[in-house]
Amino acid sequence: MENMVEHLARERSMEWREALRKSIKAKDRTSLERVAMPEADPAERAKSHVEVNQGLSVQMAVEESRRCLDCPDPTCIQGCPVSINIPKFIKYIEKKDFAGAARSLKETNALPAVCGRVCPQEIQCEASCFYTLKLKAPPVAIGHLERFAADWERKSGKMFIPEVAPANGIKVAVVGSGPSGLAVAGDLVRLGYAITVFEALHEPGGVLKYGIPEFRLPNEIVDVEINNLKKMGVEFLTNFVVGKTATIQELKAEGYQAFFAGSGAGLPNFMHIPGENANGIMSSNEYLTRVNLMNAAHDDYDTPVLLGKNVAVIGGGNTAMDSVRTAKRLGAERAMIIYRRTLAEMPARNEEIKHAQEEGIEFLNLNNPVEYFADKNGRVNRIRLQKMELGEPDASGRKKPIPIEGSEYELEADLVIVSVGVSPNPLIPQSIPGLKVSRWGTIVVDEKEMQSSVPELFAGGDIVRGGATVILAMGDGRHAAAGIDRYLQKKNRSAS
Amino acid sequence: MDLTTKYLGLTLKNPIVVGSCGLTSSVSEIKKLEKQGAAAVVLKSIFEEEILMDVENQLREARENGFIYDKYSETLDYIDVHVKEDHLDEYIQLIKAAKKEVLIPIIASINCVSSSVWTHFASHIEEAGADGLELNISLNPSDLVTRDFEQSIKVIIHKVLAQVTVPVTIKLNNSFTHMAKTILDLSQTGISGLVLFNRAYMPDIDINTMEAVQGKSFSSPNDFVESMRWIALLSDKVNCSLAAAKGIHTHEAIIKQILAGADAVQIVSVLYENGIESINGLLSGLEKWMQEKGFSSLEKFKGKASSKNVGNPAVFERIQFMKYFSGIH
Repeated sequence: MENMVEHLARERSMEWREALRKSIKAKDRTSLERVAMPEADPAERAKSHVEVNQGLSVQMAVEESRRCLDCPDPTCIQGCPVSINIPKFIKYIEKKDFAGAARSLKETNALPAVCGRVCPQEIQCEASCFYTLKLKAPPVAIGHLERFAADWERKSGKMFIPEVAPANGIKVAVVGSGPSGLAVAGDLVRLGYAITVFEALHEPGGVLKYGIPEFRLPNEIVDVEINNLKKMGVEFLTNFVVGKTATIQELKAEGYQAFFAGSGAGLPNFMHIPGENANGIMSSNEYLTRVNLMNAAHDDYDTPVLLGKNVAVIGGGNTAMDSVRTAKRLGAERAMIIYRRTLAEMPARNEEIKHAQEEGIEFLNLNNPVEYFADKNGRVNRIRLQKMELGEPDASGRKKPIPIEGSEYELEADLVIVSVGVSPNPLIPQSIPGLKVSRWGTIVVDEKEMQSSVPELFAGGDIVRGGATVILAMGDGRHAAAGIDRYLQKKNRSAS
Repeated sequence: MDLTTKYLGLTLKNPIVVGSCGLTSSVSEIKKLEKQGAAAVVLKSIFEEEILMDVENQLREARENGFIYDKYSETLDYIDVHVKEDHLDEYIQLIKAAKKEVLIPIIASINCVSSSVWTHFASHIEEAGADGLELNISLNPSDLVTRDFEQSIKVIIHKVLAQVTVPVTIKLNNSFTHMAKTILDLSQTGISGLVLFNRAYMPDIDINTMEAVQGKSFSSPNDFVESMRWIALLSDKVNCSLAAAKGIHTHEAIIKQILAGADAVQIVSVLYENGIESINGLLSGLEKWMQEKGFSSLEKFKGKASSKNVGNPAVFERIQFMKYFSGIH
């Protein structure tokens, strides 16, 4: 059987790829400048939910694709958690066969339009690009090209629906419809399994829908991908909380032979400082879910979100950036990030920090909340902040924030969004006796098969990793799908 | 025989308080201590240093774990906050469970090295139902930086008192430059009590391996003199309760501390060396002595041998020996 290296080499040696490589000298390719992603005007976009990155035009995409050298040893693929054949789809773009590029992406990635928008390519494929590694030059814009191909396909109205094997009648339950769940569902339905995706909220999509704002990932993009899965035969059951509406044991009794837990890490963490229970202080999960999924920003809906004039977001990750930029869009006069380290240590993607700065977000770095105060109605109105300095790095390599004694001061804030991380949803782990979990509450799985200590239960994404990226979750989903297939084949072979 | 005493504003059935130690870290052990006659327990301390070490360990483990994702992770960015909360949650559960199971007062204990994050713990501890809070403030005198330790302690006290209404007591170590003034000043900060003294970690050197090793863990029966001296000198001057700790292994040591003016005593080492049943023996010894001396209650002899009440108070004040005081001719 052909291994991965042989497979890539064979595809690279195809006539059309060779012809393309010869059409432009490598030196001329490397002399091309990286095409910049067009962005919506910061002043305008900060008042609306328009997508910030506008996407490459056909001309821009083809121009950028020419930079790719179609390397014999494509190191970029090693940087991709789902091993997309990156040179192949980029060369399809150079060839102007955009449908071919989209098809090629979908061989290993069920959600290219999503990943092209939210993957941290700068630490994955683009960090392993020849330009980055050898030329110390800006990498090929792999993420932007991925998005281009996927968007082109969607806009063309001719979405490629992967072929599905004849139904084998074996039922598999997928818990959670976030990126890992969608990836599992996509791979297993293709193999002929009967897939039901159980979603606790009223709309499928998981964190892609409730966690990432429209200006970074429009819900419409996610819906298109979910509709494709539906067309392939995946059934979605919403408002269904596995562990409450029905337990895994009950679903087993209904004939489900294997389970995938992709229920994410939706349990928000707080700092437990005095006053944190005041009205107007909420987690980023709640804030973003209300705005993204429940139309809370619209007066005519039943579940409005509190609006703030002075909004403080505690934390420095991507979720904090999403929250503070959302607050700005909802009319905050001051939208502030309060982070206890400096910009250099911030976990948020550089692109998100840059976009936030352009939109007028204030960064109060080296500051940490120590207490909240409320008005007579119990609504938060002030924060006591303490200034910090950086000490020696901790075991993660980040410099430790050290409080400066006597540096406390107060800041007006009528809305506070706490974005200091999340913990895995405990429902599944708690509802399954004997399931092995880590000290962080994550489900412990075998690295290759993604199988848990309960043989019929597989898991991936945030419930295994604590807090991962979309693409890592999808990678887990794909590995789990392969693991589930092997497990069920073996089980049903021995049963027969 | 009335053995009751007032300590931190709490009425204790007798003066024996089990100090913070491993024996006070579980409800089942606390129940046994109560059964043996302990009048109150100070729970095993929630250690700032231990939590900081746990933070480092978790970060290291997370990095080594192939699955736990550390890049872009907001959770790991704030893991120190979350680890502290987890430890606090465990501690809160211990307080709640202990309060449910025993009738004696439960005094929580925080071993802290800074004032910043830890003071808010105090309010959670109060909410959990603790009857008091003992702060063991471990400011390290071995670093070579000039620090105003007394002032640092006062800052911590000020912040904690702003958070809670339960009585707060400070467990001091015995290495202050001006001990009497420090004790007096601290007693006037609004705290309800002082515990004299904390037993410091003891290092030793193994002469075979020539390596530094941990020294003796337990106090010696003679150690009680350290606290007795300062209690005798200051019990009628301070504005708060005084508890004697360190080296209290016998009923005689308890009697001496009460004669010096202590409101209560904390015992630990004797429980490890002689078993928790020794509480009973200590109480019997105390009662027997009181009977022999004709004291019907503790109050009748508390402070009877304090510096104010003895004929030769200089005995407590002398630091250096002289022939006259040492009695060596």
